[in-house]
Amino acid sequence: MASKDQTDDGHDRNMPDLGDAIDILTFSQILEMDDSEEDRKFSQSIVYDFFEQAGETFEKMDVALQARDLDELYRLGHFLKGSSATVGLTKVKDSCEKIQRYGKRENVDGSPEPDEELCLSRIKTTLKTVKSEYADAEKTLKDFFNSA
Amino acid sequence: MPEGDMAGVAQGAGNNSSDFVSNGVFCSSIRDIFVALGCMCIWLTCCAPGTRMLEDPAYSEVVRWGDQGDSFVVLENEKFTKTILPKHFKHSNFASFVRQLNKYDFHKVRHNEENGQSPYGASAWEFKHPEFRADRKDNLDNIRRKAPAPRKAQNAEEQFSVQNQQVVVLSETLAATQQQVQQLQESYYEIINANKIFVDEILHLQKVVKAQHQVHNELITHLTFNPGQNLLSDGTEAPLELRRARDILNGLSIEHVADRDLNRMSIAFHQAGGSPESVGSSSMMGPPGAAGVTPFLHDPLSDMRHLVYPVGQNIGIDPFAPEHMNNIPYNRPGGENGLPPTSDFNTTPSMAANTPPGLQSPSPWGSKKPVVLLVEDDRTCARIGSKFLSQQDCGVEVARDGLEAVNKVSARQQPYDLIFMDIVMPQLDGVSATAMIKDMQPNTPIIAMTSNINQQDLEMYFQWGMRDVLAKPFTKEGMIGKLRRHLNSLLRNPPAEGMMDPSAYPNGGSAQPPTPGPYSNQGMGMAPLPGSSSGPVTKFDTTPIQSPATSSSWHSPSQLPHPSPTIGQEHGGYLGAGSGAQMVLTPGGTQKPQFAGGMMPQMAGSQRMPLDGPPEKRQRLYGPPGNYNQ
Repeated sequence: MASKDQTDDGHDRNMPDLGDAIDILTFSQILEMDDSEEDRKFSQSIVYDFFEQAGETFEKMDVALQARDLDELYRLGHFLKGSSATVGLTKVKDSCEKIQRYGKRENVDGSPEPDEELCLSRIKTTLKTVKSEYADAEKTLKDFFNSA
Repeated sequence: MPEGDMAGVAQGAGNNSSDFVSNGVFCSSIRDIFVALGCMCIWLTCCAPGTRMLEDPAYSEVVRWGDQGDSFVVLENEKFTKTILPKHFKHSNFASFVRQLNKYDFHKVRHNEENGQSPYGASAWEFKHPEFRADRKDNLDNIRRKAPAPRKAQNAEEQFSVQNQQVVVLSETLAATQQQVQQLQESYYEIINANKIFVDEILHLQKVVKAQHQVHNELITHLTFNPGQNLLSDGTEAPLELRRARDILNGLSIEHVADRDLNRMSIAFHQAGGSPESVGSSSMMGPPGAAGVTPFLHDPLSDMRHLVYPVGQNIGIDPFAPEHMNNIPYNRPGGENGLPPTSDFNTTPSMAANTPPGLQSPSPWGSKKPVVLLVEDDRTCARIGSKFLSQQDCGVEVARDGLEAVNKVSARQQPYDLIFMDIVMPQLDGVSATAMIKDMQPNTPIIAMTSNINQQDLEMYFQWGMRDVLAKPFTKEGMIGKLRRHLNSLLRNPPAEGMMDPSAYPNGGSAQPPTPGPYSNQGMGMAPLPGSSSGPVTKFDTTPIQSPATSSSWHSPSQLPHPSPTIGQEHGGYLGAGSGAQMVLTPGGTQKPQFAGGMMPQMAGSQRMPLDGPPEKRQRLYGPPGNYNQ
C-alpha cells in the first residue's frame, strides 16, 4: 500500500529532531534552500503556504464528503498527497493516498471496491486520522520555526 | 721623535722609500689638514684615517703607501679586515671597503705585466686615485665620492621610457589578441551557421522519410485490408509482396539514436539563434506560425554573451584606469561564473537580465541559460521545484495546469528548453497537455512529474511523447539530474554519452527507457509496427479503436471530476486570465478535446488531434489493481 520509499532516518547530522511525523530528509531539502540557518524565510514561507493549502484542502474534503463526491475526494487526496510528500509529512501523505484510493473506489491494496458507501465511510475515518496527523506535524513544524 | 719614527718605519717597511713618505712634517701636516677639514664627506671618514694608517708603524706590515707614493697597498688582506677596518670604518668587511673605495674613484691597480705578480706580493691589494698622492695633501679635497644622483636619475628616466614602451607593446599585443578573438568568433559563427543548416536539413529529410514511411504504410494497409478495391477479395491474407514490403518497412528503425542529439542541437541553435522554426517543419509537424527559413537573426558581434573581449572600442572604459579593473563588464577568460560582477553598465543589460543574484555556485550552463516550464497544480511542489531549478541558474516559468501550460507554450516565441509536467491536474491533464505541446514544439523534452509510475503509466507517458519521468515526491538531485540529462547540450561541460544517470528511470530500471520499441506494440489491435517507436513518429499508426468500452476510461464522465465550475473556482486563484475557457474531454470514443472560446485555432484546425490515440492506453492508467505506486 503506502509507499515506503521514504526512509525515516530522523537523526541526520545537524538536523533538528522533528519526530516521526516528518521525513527529515525531505524536509531538510527545503531547509537547504534557505539563505542561512538563521534566515529561514524561504522554507518557512513554503511550509506556511503548505499549511494554508492543507487547511483549504481539508475543508474541501469535508464538503466533498458531505456531497458524497468520491471523484472529488480522489482528486483532493491525490493533491494533498503530493504536497505533503514534498514537504515530508510522511503520515499525512500515506493517509492521503488511502483517501485517493477510496475515492477511486478501491481498497487499500488497489483492488476495486464497488461499495461506495464503504468507500465513503473509510474516507470519513481516514480524514479524521489525517487531520490529527496533520495537526501534529503542523505543531512540530511551527515549533521548529518559532524556535529557530 | 715622531718624524724620525715615521721615517724609520716607512723606510723599514718599504723597499726604496721615497723621501716625502719619510717626511714627518709632511705626514703630520696631512693629519692636520684632515683635522681641519673635518669629516666633510664619507670618504673622509673612510679614508682620512687611512692616510694616517698608511704611516702608522703598527700597521706597516698590513697597509702602507705604495712605492711611488701615488697609491696605497693593503699587504695583508685578512689582518686589515680584522684589525683595521673595524676601528676606522663602518664597513668592516673588505669587499664593502673596496666598494666604498670604488665609489670615491679609487681603483685597484692591476699588474698584468710580470706574470700578473704584484710587487707587493700575490695577496696585496694596491689602490690608486689620481689625486691621492703622498706628496699632494691639498688634492685630498678633490677626492670625493662620485655623485650617484645624476646616474640614478638617468636610470629612472630610462626605466620610465622602458615602461612606456612596455605599455605600448602590451597595448599592441592586446589589440592584436582582440582582433584574433574577433576573427575566431566570426569563424565560430560561420561554423555554427553551417552546422545549424546541416542539422535543419537532416531533420527535414528525416521528416520527409517519416512521411513517406507513413504513406507506404497507409498504402499497404489499404491494399491489405480494403476488399472494396478488388485487389484482395478475401481480405484475409495479404499477398507475399505486401507482407514483404511491410516487413521491410517495419524493419526500418526510423528513430535513430542520434536523433535526440540532433533535436537537441536544433533546439540549441534555435534558442541561440532566435530562428523560431526549422527549415523542415513541414509535412509532419505542421507547426503554428511561420514555416520555412527565417533569416538568421543572430548578430554575433552585438551579442555580448559571446564576447570574450569587446572589440574595436573599449565601451567607455579605460583599461588602464585602476578603478575600472574590477568593473569590466565583459567575460574575462577563466572567470568561474562568466558573469559580470556588476551590472551598472548600460552596455550590458542583456547579460544582467538572465542572472539571478546570489548564486551560490557557478552556473553549470554554457553561453545559454535554459528556460524551463514547470507545470504543477500544487503550489508547494511548484515553489520547491522552481527554487531547485533557479538555484541551477535556469529561468523558470510555472503553469498551474495543463491548459495554462499549453497556452504558455503557444504564446512563447522561442520554445522552452525543457518542460516538467505534472500528470494529474485540473482543467487539462499532463498527458493531454504533452500531446498538444508536442504538436507545437516537437523538440522540447517533456518530463512527467508524478507519483503514478507503474509500468502502464510509464508506457503511456512515453507513448504520448514524454521523454522521461521524475518520480514524486522529487528530490533536488532527481530534478537536477533530469535537467542536466536532457539539457546536456547546454551544459558548460557536457558529460560523455553513456555516463547518464542510471536512476533516470524509476522503479529501479524496470521501466522501459524511451527508446524505440516496446510501446507502439502495446495493445495495438491491428498490424503492429515493431520497428517504430514512441513519440511523434508513431502517431500515424495509433489508429484509434473507438469501442464503447472506452466510456469507462480515464476521462469518462462517470469518473472524471467533470471540468465543473467547482474546479474552476477552486483554482481560480492562480489560473491565468485565459483559463476561463474550459477545455473539455468529451466522453465516449473520440476523446477529442473541445476548444471552448476558440482557443488555439491552429490546433483546433489541425487534422490530427493527438488525442485520437488508443484509448486502451488511457484506460490503463488506473487499470490493473495491485501496481499502484509501488
